[in-house]
Amino acid sequence: MGINDKKEIQSSYLEGERLAHFKSLTGIEYKEVYTPEDISDAPEPPGVYPFTRGIHKTMYRGRLWTRRQQSGYRSAKESNERIKYLLSVGQTGINVDPDLPTHLALDPENPLAQGDVGLQGTSIVTYEDMVDLYRDIPLDEVSNTMIIEAPSSAVIMAQYLLLANERGIPWEKLIGTIMNCPLTQLVGPTYQSITTFFPVEPAVKIALDVMEFMIKRAPRWNIVNINAYNIRETGVDAIQEAAFALSIGQEYARGLIERGLDIDTFAPRIGFFSAVHIDFFEEIAKLRAMRRIWARIMKEKFGAKNERSLLFRTACQTSALPLTAQEPLNNLVRAGIQSLAAVLGGVQSLHTTGYDEAFSLPTEESHKLSIRTQQIIAYETGVVKSVDPLGGSYLIERLTDDLEEQIWNLLKIIEDKGGFLQCFLDRWVEDQITEKRHQLGEDMDSGQQPIVGVNLFRDDRDSTEIAIFRHSDTWQSERIQEIIEHKENRNQESVKRALDALDEQIRKNWEGNCIEVIMKAVEARCTLGEIMDAIRTAIDFKRPGL
Amino acid sequence: MMEQKAKKRILLGKLGLDAHDNGVVIVAKWLSDAGYEVIYLGFYNFPEHFIEVALQEDVDAIGVSFLGGEHLYYTRKLTDLMKEKGINNIKLILGGVIPSHDVDELKRLGVSEVFTPGTLRQTIIESLGKLFKEGM
Repeated sequence: MGINDKKEIQSSYLEGERLAHFKSLTGIEYKEVYTPEDISDAPEPPGVYPFTRGIHKTMYRGRLWTRRQQSGYRSAKESNERIKYLLSVGQTGINVDPDLPTHLALDPENPLAQGDVGLQGTSIVTYEDMVDLYRDIPLDEVSNTMIIEAPSSAVIMAQYLLLANERGIPWEKLIGTIMNCPLTQLVGPTYQSITTFFPVEPAVKIALDVMEFMIKRAPRWNIVNINAYNIRETGVDAIQEAAFALSIGQEYARGLIERGLDIDTFAPRIGFFSAVHIDFFEEIAKLRAMRRIWARIMKEKFGAKNERSLLFRTACQTSALPLTAQEPLNNLVRAGIQSLAAVLGGVQSLHTTGYDEAFSLPTEESHKLSIRTQQIIAYETGVVKSVDPLGGSYLIERLTDDLEEQIWNLLKIIEDKGGFLQCFLDRWVEDQITEKRHQLGEDMDSGQQPIVGVNLFRDDRDSTEIAIFRHSDTWQSERIQEIIEHKENRNQESVKRALDALDEQIRKNWEGNCIEVIMKAVEARCTLGEIMDAIRTAIDFKRPGL
Repeated sequence: MMEQKAKKRILLGKLGLDAHDNGVVIVAKWLSDAGYEVIYLGFYNFPEHFIEVALQEDVDAIGVSFLGGEHLYYTRKLTDLMKEKGINNIKLILGGVIPSHDVDELKRLGVSEVFTPGTLRQTIIESLGKLFKEGM
């Protein structure tokens, strides 16, 4: 350390430290102090419309949130091992992420896919993969989230339903969620990411097919989970995260109503997946505001009568944006604080992001630490012993009101422009995101958004080494070979028949629900990529490489 | 004074199926603000196309951003192609979520710089400045 550095530190001792500003991450100015004058009425009790204080009367006293860490890498077999490990250390729900070729519906041997097979998730291509992924897991006892969007979600759902058949589990007993949201799931609503391998409007149509099919047959299954988390991770603020997600929820509700479904049959099975960033009170207030707004939209705009239709149920993940590659152990502290915010915000399930996320997928050790973080909050700190312990705080109630107002304002702008899908197609969403990203770059660089160890108190001597997950050098080529062999060793006649039937239905009866004909193709041992390429061809869409 | 192009040209984008582009979008803006000519290719690119554009646009450097562990696979493809086409005047720069244990191998393959998350704007601009100075 140089002499000059020492001088600077001494002067900060003498003068005391103070923050550069008192704005929230989203730009709301925190007041010096909040008083009774900041709040209008006392909030309603928990479990009472519009559910500011939580969707249940007893919240975590009645039942803790579900600990649900995402997992998935390489083969279905290896991912199954990781799922079982997580359950053995106290995970209470499953959350499986497929790899990118699965998300984009490209088979592993496709030249466009080869470099990404099994890296960001597990490779799910055939029915056999689905069997391996959930081996020994009781599908009617553990709630299982499958992180997959339309159109691939139609094939994954079909594989899953066939697995339930094979195991003799009635569909009405299945518990879990298919994310199924083509507008947000991949990396948020950025234009190129969503539209390159499948056109967006047909993707929404297939998402609605999955929803419609499941709602009629599997009443405990969550038909869509709007990924507000991914929206937020593009760099937008809390108000945009909330407004985008809540407007997308309305798109799906309108789509299902157009198909003749009553709002109260499906609204209780719509879920959300929110981010919890690092601005502690703002994130708590955001979740409270989202509950209120969704309840009002469902009741007043859609006329829902069943109280369960009004509930903003949300899974949650601690945002990875504030996590750093510098001094990675600091991320444990950040994720701990973010997890506490999620709990005080009243979420239904939680994924605590791993401290090693700035390097690779989480190791087994990191996964366990995430679960332990949540268990410490749940069992040691006492914060779960009263419902909505921050309710009535002048600051929290005022911030909830302020955010609610601003989210409503943005929702109105989106609705006036024709709804989220229209805004997306018009690139309006894209422009909003790009603007915020550039701002994020500026704020990180200027220190306006302080990041300890990066733009503040940076210590370039730090050489903390942590164990990092390593990808395999040889697995990809083995997996590619496996799928090539799968395609060689099957009854090619039935494959052709099934794909022809699919082609015919899509061409002649596009309005019809496509899940049953996709199930037949899966039974005929067609792969995910083959099924989706058949649909692409039938709707006359040329993906790269086709 | 030797004749020089007004601005150094850098081709930026991502290879493969990963679409996490926060980092590269921000860096593209930073480089463009710092006086570089940035040709931004977005994501879902494959090595052949990347090289084709690099040659067409006569760039001085290629910058690729990775996130999901696909960096070795695609860097090998890219450097093989560059060798095959006898390209040795274009610098290769990487950024993103790249574990430190892979950096040596990437440099051995011919990568000039690897910028991991949290690299400051100033560091990137200074490193590039130095890189182009050495290369002249």
